[in-house]
Amino acid sequence: MVVALKQEEMQSLAEKAVNLAQRKGADETEAFVYQDLTINVIIKQGQIARGSKVIDRGIGVRIIVNNAIGFSYTNTLESEAVIEETILRALNSAKASKPDEDWHGLPTKKTFSSVEDTYDNRIVELHSEDLVNIASTMLDTAEKTDKRAFSIDGGAGASYLCNAIANSNGVEGFDHGTIIECSLATIAKEENEVTPVCFEFNMDRQYIVNPEWIGTEAVRLAISALKAKRTKTKTMNVVFTQFALQELLHYTLINAVKSDYVQRNQSAFKGKIGKNVASEIVTIYDDGLLKGGIRTWKFDGEGVPQQKTPIIEKGVLRNFIYDNYTAKKEGKESTGNASRAGYLSTPNVEATNFHIMPGKKSPEELISGVKEGLLVYYLQGAHSSNPASGDFSVVAAPAWKIENGEVAYATKGAMLAGNIFQVLTNISELANNERKIGALVAPWILVENVKVIGK
Amino acid sequence: MKDILRKATDVAVQKFGAEYAEIRAQKLFKTMLTLKEERVEATKQGIENGAALRVLVNGAWGFASVGTLDAETLINTISDACKMAKAASSRLKRRIKLVETEAIEDKVLMTPKKDPSKISIKDKINTTLTMSKTILDYDSRIKSCTVDYLDLTGTSYFMNSEGCYIEQDKLYIWSRLLATATQAGIFTFSREEVGSTAGYEVFDIETPEIVGERVAKRAVEQLKAKPPKGGAFPAVLGPNVVGVFVHEAFGHLAEADLTLSGSVLLDKLGKKIASDVVTFYDDGSIEGAFGSFKYDDEGVPTQKTLLVKNGVVVGLMHNRETAQKLYAKPTGNARAEDFRFEPIIRMRNTFMEPKDHSFEELVEDIKFGYYFKSFRGGQANLDGTFQVGIQEAYEIVNGELGEPIRNASISGNTLETLLKVDAVGKDFELWPGRCGKGQTAFITDGGPHIRVKEVLVGGSA
Repeated sequence: MVVALKQEEMQSLAEKAVNLAQRKGADETEAFVYQDLTINVIIKQGQIARGSKVIDRGIGVRIIVNNAIGFSYTNTLESEAVIEETILRALNSAKASKPDEDWHGLPTKKTFSSVEDTYDNRIVELHSEDLVNIASTMLDTAEKTDKRAFSIDGGAGASYLCNAIANSNGVEGFDHGTIIECSLATIAKEENEVTPVCFEFNMDRQYIVNPEWIGTEAVRLAISALKAKRTKTKTMNVVFTQFALQELLHYTLINAVKSDYVQRNQSAFKGKIGKNVASEIVTIYDDGLLKGGIRTWKFDGEGVPQQKTPIIEKGVLRNFIYDNYTAKKEGKESTGNASRAGYLSTPNVEATNFHIMPGKKSPEELISGVKEGLLVYYLQGAHSSNPASGDFSVVAAPAWKIENGEVAYATKGAMLAGNIFQVLTNISELANNERKIGALVAPWILVENVKVIGK
Repeated sequence: MKDILRKATDVAVQKFGAEYAEIRAQKLFKTMLTLKEERVEATKQGIENGAALRVLVNGAWGFASVGTLDAETLINTISDACKMAKAASSRLKRRIKLVETEAIEDKVLMTPKKDPSKISIKDKINTTLTMSKTILDYDSRIKSCTVDYLDLTGTSYFMNSEGCYIEQDKLYIWSRLLATATQAGIFTFSREEVGSTAGYEVFDIETPEIVGERVAKRAVEQLKAKPPKGGAFPAVLGPNVVGVFVHEAFGHLAEADLTLSGSVLLDKLGKKIASDVVTFYDDGSIEGAFGSFKYDDEGVPTQKTLLVKNGVVVGLMHNRETAQKLYAKPTGNARAEDFRFEPIIRMRNTFMEPKDHSFEELVEDIKFGYYFKSFRGGQANLDGTFQVGIQEAYEIVNGELGEPIRNASISGNTLETLLKVDAVGKDFELWPGRCGKGQTAFITDGGPHIRVKEVLVGGSA
């Protein structure tokens, strides 16, 4: 990997943009410079057949004039004229826009938090050949494990990400980090049966990968999804793995704790701070400083230090998550939850590492306590949940029937219907197998009384 | 531009021995607005210039993307792509080959009646503000609305080492309206999208008032809706739901890359998978439709592709790689979101062909079932299990529409469900949307009303 822009260059670009915009008549300015270097080796249909390298960088400038907000970006950083044009466009956008009475200024300078295990030089120094080795280890292991499974998709990728921020209140900062990801998706076939897509992956900020494990697990899952049977319609106990939880929470619970949703009457949690909203064994933090967390950074998309915020403690709702705008609207401090899509967007309230604290039982013990239930690996259609009410109606695939404390057989086309807020109060066990799945850090959880719809 | 691109493809072929090289350079300009209630969150404009460089070396693909159109950088970047391909080729089992296509030279100009790049930001703010106001003023139980607006204009320059050179204008207009309503602890949610490749004139038909009222009315009417029963029921699907069913449940399985990955259609070509009344197309040539274009991102002309004829699978959607592998003709389905992405097989405007039933005829024989009118997301799996979330639905009782129901979803196995389609309506609608497959594509889908003997309905807890 070649680092295209250095730290000093990025910070200087951000500061110059702020200064120029202020001279051109902005009341307030913020500049965000972002750079993403990613190399990938891609598996398709059983073989490594592609390598790719993407360099994406640019600057986004947010300008405030008379409490109206304009934003403009460009990915042409070599030309001062283009950057000036971008600033003028942001300025004109602000002038054309409508004033916002709730705007109370950009963030002020604060000391950034320190973070651990977010950067690993070994990832930056990876070559495409190294990624080819990782990917082929996954493929070879998968092939050796069972011939009935077929590797359809996957790969290995390494990213170096960095950003610099500056604003007219004197905020300035730079942070960088690395991510390595490798994954394998498989399906198994036997006679006329095709399984749903099964997959495993590693994703980490440090150079921690285990391609043999991924290859073996992705195949083991697919094979165990064969010989699927229909289930009956019945209310039962359901064990959700992290993949299924991540899907489900992303479109429901995580939205409900965003201050933006609460302020705009879109959250069922409005007015519930201090109240019981979940089973008393549930404790959740939004932890922007989690060691090695996928979303751990020194500061958020507005240059506010990231922090650890209690969301639910022993079932009691404690806090919502805020960015600068929603916090100031309530006279509060931002919780460091402003997120940006690189240089392309203005900040939005988003969770960092959504950390559901683990319990003590092993996953096997969790299952052994279930008389009749489902083990759900992945969900189809979680994005069609009602984000305001938390109602969901999804397909569980792959999923396995649990009978008398043991995984009995794979199920076919079972649907789950329910409401996320009822799910929270019906959580009866948390396992001890915590795992990072992107923004979610969680163990398997056991939920009682979920409606399973079959035939 | 042509000379710069030629130099880079020449380097790939001459210096690195590439079997094939292509460059897709783009100059794009976007305007975006987000309104939350009547507040303009930010007025956003951006420039994105860059190039996607793709090569075949030793039978493997190499891809590189860079945010500049500078000649020297492009040469360096295509060299990177060649090195990536070489590294990837070291463990290759089967060489990748491309089907032959005609080397086209063309220049495609857009001629919108109302060019979005010539419309002032103030006008765009007014259009979206009218949407917001229409929604909020509709009923006091509406608690929030979010309106997003995007227009994208620019030019794409495509060149490959086989002599193809195409300059093609890009124009997309898109807007999404979300509304929530609340009453007595019940939250409802409603969404609509507008999308066009014609021009800003799309808002002359889908006016801010018409679209705003449609989304607001649904949010309010859903307040009095009840949860559905879970289980298998007969159903009538509206064009909006038929569209997402054709797209999600069938369409993805017929994208040849996913077919080759082992979708349930792999051994079904030429075989009957649906009842006689089922005919599907994927058509990139419908004028002004959100999924239309003249040439795809491999320089292949778009076309109207017949996928299922009277229940028999007759075609798949291809790029040049899958067409070669399956001895088919390329269909012009290779699309990339922008220069950051490789072209992959994507749908365009995907729909079911109408037949002869009126809506009343479809409903009249159903003793108890559901009418699914409008969807909220859908997803399919390679094994043919589909799920479509529903945002507007009604009971059908003794052949007539009954009470509204909320938060339903339907599911089933695509192949089993297609055989259960027993009547197809004579009306027709196409709805714009966005499809995600690692990258976003603008599409439409639709069809007539249809009746399905049985579909699994996900009820409430």
